[in-house]
Amino acid sequence: MKLYEYSACELSEMLRAKKISSRELTESVLDRAGEVDKKVNAYLRTDREMSLRMADRADKLIASGEAKSRLAGIPVGIKDNISTKGIATTCASRMLENYVPVFNATVIEKLESAGCVISGKLNLDEFAMGSSTENSYFVTTKNPYDLSCVPGGSSGGSAAAVACGEAVVALGSDTGGSIRQPASLCGVVGLKPTYGSVSRYGLVAFASSLDQIGPFGCTVKDVALLQDEIQGHDKMDATSADRKYASLLDNLNDNISGLKIGIPSEYFGEGIKPEVADAVMKSVKELEKRGAKVVPVSLPSTGYALSAYYIIACAEASSNLARFDGVKYGYHAQNCDGLIDMYEKTRSEGFGREVKRRIMLGTFVLSSGYFDAYYKKAKLLQKRIQQEFADAFNSVDAIITPTSPSEAFKIGERTSDPLAMYAADICTVTVNIAGLPGVSVPCGYSEIGLPYGMQIIGRKFDEQTILNLAYAHENAFGGFRRPEL
Amino acid sequence: MDIDIRHIAKLSRLKIEDSELAGYEKEMSDIIAMVEAMPDISDELTVDPENAMKLRPDIIGETKITRDEILKNAPKIVAGCVVVPKTVD
Repeated sequence: MKLYEYSACELSEMLRAKKISSRELTESVLDRAGEVDKKVNAYLRTDREMSLRMADRADKLIASGEAKSRLAGIPVGIKDNISTKGIATTCASRMLENYVPVFNATVIEKLESAGCVISGKLNLDEFAMGSSTENSYFVTTKNPYDLSCVPGGSSGGSAAAVACGEAVVALGSDTGGSIRQPASLCGVVGLKPTYGSVSRYGLVAFASSLDQIGPFGCTVKDVALLQDEIQGHDKMDATSADRKYASLLDNLNDNISGLKIGIPSEYFGEGIKPEVADAVMKSVKELEKRGAKVVPVSLPSTGYALSAYYIIACAEASSNLARFDGVKYGYHAQNCDGLIDMYEKTRSEGFGREVKRRIMLGTFVLSSGYFDAYYKKAKLLQKRIQQEFADAFNSVDAIITPTSPSEAFKIGERTSDPLAMYAADICTVTVNIAGLPGVSVPCGYSEIGLPYGMQIIGRKFDEQTILNLAYAHENAFGGFRRPEL
Repeated sequence: MDIDIRHIAKLSRLKIEDSELAGYEKEMSDIIAMVEAMPDISDELTVDPENAMKLRPDIIGETKITRDEILKNAPKIVAGCVVVPKTVD
C-alpha cells in the first residue's frame, strides 16, 4: 500500500510513531497528483518545493516533540477561494488570475500552526458559483469515477483530489451545498459545519450569511480530525460564534442506540431519482438495525427553498463582488475611456458568464421597486424554513435526506440550462438557509459505479451527533471506495 | 416578466454585448419565473438573537502587512498610490 492510500488518522499515528516522515508522505501525495491530475484536473497549482519545505518543518516539530496537533505533517489541499499568503488565490476567475494574498485566512493560520503541509490549491466554480466545477475560468475538473462526468461543485477540486489520493484531506467552502454535493458525487465524506463555527476570515466572500468553510476526507474520522483543527471563535470574523468547541474526534462514538432520525417526505419525492432515494433509505434501515429510531417529519417549505436561496445568495454576491473594480487588485482592462468605462470593461472581461448573471440577478432583486417582492419575501421564507427545522428538531436528533438528487451528470449536460444546474442543490440549500450543520457520506453506487450520497443534518453546533451517525453508517456500510484511474 | 438587462447591467457596472442580450434575458426570466412562486408570508423580519454579531472596537490593530506589500497587487501605482482614470477635468 502506498502512503497516499492511508487515511489521515492512520498517517497521523504513523508519523507520530516515526514510522514515516512527512517528507515521504508529501512526496507520495504529490507523486500521485503528478500521476493522475492530468486526467482529473483537481489542482489549479502545486508547489513541490514549498510543500516539501513545510513537510521538513513538520518533521522537525515531530522529532523534537513540539508537534501538538494530530494533523502535524499531513498534506491538506486548499480550495482556491481561501487566502494563502504568498500563494496565488484565484477563485478560478480571470479577475484574480494574478492575485497573491498578503495574509492567510484564519483556517490557514491554524493549519500552519498545527504543522500541516499545504499540498496545493484546488479548482472550483468561479467564485464558488456553480454545482459542477465547469464554471472555472481555467479548467474543468473531472469525476474520478467516470472522467466524462462532473465532480460536482463548487468544491469539485477538493472532492476529486481526496477521492484520488491527491490530497489526504482538503478544505472546501459551502454556500448552498458546495461541500456536500461534490462529496456525494465523488464518494467521499464532506462536512458543512454550523454557520459561525469556522472563521470565514480570508475566505473570499460569495454570500457572507451562508458561506462556511469545512473539511473533506475519505473517512468520517478524517473529517472530524480536520474540523477539530479549524473550528473555534475568531475575533477577525464578526459572525464567528464565541463558545466552547469540544473535540469531535475524541468524542466520536458509533453507538447510536436510541437516537431519533427524522425522514422528511419532501426530500424523497419529485425531482429525486428513485435509485438515490432507495439507496438512502437502505442506509437508514442499517442505522435502524443499530438501534436508531426512524420518525417521519415534515419540512413543508422545502419546495421554495431554492428560490429563497438564489435570491439571498445573489443579492449578497452582487454586493460582495462590487469590490472587484480594477483599481486595488485583480484584473484591469486596457484602453478605457474614463472611470466608468474602466469599471465596466474590467468587470465584463474579468468575470465569467455565471458570475455576471448572478451579480445581475442580485442587483435586480435589490433594485428599487423589487426589494419587497423578492428579497424581503425570500428573507421571510428563510425565517419560516428555520422555524420548520427547529420544530422538527423538537422531536428528532438528526434528519436524513439524499445529498444530491442524482449521481454525477455528464460534463456539458447542464451548462446551457441554469435551472437544471440549480436543481443539483435542491437537497442542500435549506441547510445553509437555516445555518445548520450537514454531512454527506457515501451510501451506495449506481449500476455504472457512480457514488450516491446521504446527507445527515443536525441541530446548530451539534456536529457530534451527525458525525456519530455518519461513523455508525460507515462501520455498517463500508464507506469510501477508492476509484480506479 | 420583462427584465431590462441593459439597465440592470448598468447598475451592476457590467457591459453586455448585443449578441449576449437575448441569452441573458431568457435565463433571467426563467429564474424570476421560478422565484415568483414563493408564497406571501405576513411576518416581519427580526434580528436572530442567537446570531447577534459583535462588532470589534474601532481601534487600529497591529499589522505586519506593509504598504508596499499591499500595493504589489494593484494594477497601476505611482508614488505609493493606486492610479485611477481622470475623474475631474
